[in-house]
Amino acid sequence: MKTLILGLGNPILSDDGIGNRIAQELENRISNQDITVEETSMSGLSLLDLLVGYDKAIIVDAIQTANGKAGQIYRLTPEAFNDTRHASSPHDVNFATALELGHKIGMPMPGQIIIYAIEVADTSNFGEEFTPKVKKAIPRCVKMILDELNGNN
Amino acid sequence: MASCKATDAVFHVDPPPAGKKLREAFYCAHYIHSHIAHFYALAAPDFVMGPTSDPAQRNILGVISKVGLQIGGEVIKHRAYAQSIQASIAGKATHPVGGIPGGMSKPITEEQRTDFEEKAKSCVEFSKFSLKLFNDVVLANKDYLNLITGNIYTMKSYYMGLVDNNNKINFYDGEVRVIDPEGKEVYKFKPAQYLDYVAEHTEPWSYLKFPFLKKVGWKGFVEGKDSGIYRVSPLARLNVADGMATPLAQVEYDKLFKTLGGKPAHATLAFHWARLVELLYASERLLELSRDKEITDPKVRTIPTATPDEGVGIVEAPRGTLIHHYQTDKNGIVTKANLIVATAHNYPAMHMSIKKAAQGLIKKSKDVKEGLLNMVEMAFRAYDPCSACATHTLPGQMPLEVVIYNSRGEVIETLSQNLR
Repeated sequence: MKTLILGLGNPILSDDGIGNRIAQELENRISNQDITVEETSMSGLSLLDLLVGYDKAIIVDAIQTANGKAGQIYRLTPEAFNDTRHASSPHDVNFATALELGHKIGMPMPGQIIIYAIEVADTSNFGEEFTPKVKKAIPRCVKMILDELNGNN
Repeated sequence: MASCKATDAVFHVDPPPAGKKLREAFYCAHYIHSHIAHFYALAAPDFVMGPTSDPAQRNILGVISKVGLQIGGEVIKHRAYAQSIQASIAGKATHPVGGIPGGMSKPITEEQRTDFEEKAKSCVEFSKFSLKLFNDVVLANKDYLNLITGNIYTMKSYYMGLVDNNNKINFYDGEVRVIDPEGKEVYKFKPAQYLDYVAEHTEPWSYLKFPFLKKVGWKGFVEGKDSGIYRVSPLARLNVADGMATPLAQVEYDKLFKTLGGKPAHATLAFHWARLVELLYASERLLELSRDKEITDPKVRTIPTATPDEGVGIVEAPRGTLIHHYQTDKNGIVTKANLIVATAHNYPAMHMSIKKAAQGLIKKSKDVKEGLLNMVEMAFRAYDPCSACATHTLPGQMPLEVVIYNSRGEVIETLSQNLR
């Protein structure tokens, strides 16, 4: 099964880069040729170019929810983002819209998409370090994704 | 790209021709993906689905369903072509790393050049299709045309944009030209002179500044020749230029002004149309550059030798004029930076456009429904705004106070965050 692990975020915006860091950690531990690990700062329609051609995609990104606690890890599916069509950026469509568009126009989208979202505390200050609770989530999230890849989830 | 040019100026170095051509090709590709995304994802839903249509359908998915699924594939394909060219030239499409003081970090090969040429040819055809779609869906609809040319979406202002030596549009280089609301050139200046022409007004209720023409002055939120408020945008660029530097875009330029009643055009919703004319220009120019044999010249950088100190770089970002001004110490470390981005230039005008649309659309005893509010938003969306770029907030925590009044005008609750 061709699998993509895609870390999303801005690596110089504190906790926002958590997806990138986890992708880097996974790249160092995975040698299976069917698994590709990538990281990107892109979003919206641009994600379609990265997702096509894979059977499965695991996306890792930062998230901020109303009552979340920094360091919490959520395992989500794309349906979790279906309740809005509001643009997440003034220049692009949101994740759910991009995925639906990909399916609608017949692009070879992954049959399964799993999103690992890490609750973050600081996405406003420039920096390449993470806040303490988010930093502690890195090995936990890496293990969860490795377990998922090994069919242990 | 403005930062590349500003650092060239800081280091007193001029890139060699191949370095400049690579930058311009990269920038044309950037325009192609940015303009395609704005038109199809953000502008077309209002026109293809209708400004008061069901918001659940008024999005790119609705547009694709209506105009054809294969068009969706073409949108994705050509955005991807443009981004692949950017990544090929400068490492990454987003957060590129190819621009350095004096030029570019690496040349391109003949194989890359031919790849760009094939993709550019396809982009020219897709741009022509996009203009035809605009013609068939928007211009052929009398109601839409009246909306575009009507008073509620019209604002008479000065306009600013970069032009080349022949006063034709140039996204990457040239001098800044300013015209008055009647179309007469009033200023033409080099990037380093910008502070002689642009000043910034502040208001206590906003943390974004309000640029204005210094020699005309800030006269408040008013239209016309006596007010220093100016606009930048695709339409502003078409207004300030004497024409387009490529043949097919020139034909579309002529058609636009003929339809809108001559130059300058003040129709805010026509920003979308101008964006498509520029999409065609960017594609044609990319094709020209990809056929220029000099673009594969291995000399893409002039090594700086002067001590760095201060410099200004100005380019036309897809949304409008972009100014970067840096001062550095003798090691090239930035000690002071001033950025004026397109959304800032347009900020005074945005307020006025929104107000005018709201006053024209919202009438006493008329239900204010979602569709009507969307028509007010259309006045804002035309500017393709990016407030995050324009506000320079650090550390990014927005001071905000919300005061809630009841129907008798009495304060019932005050909420605030991060107030000093």
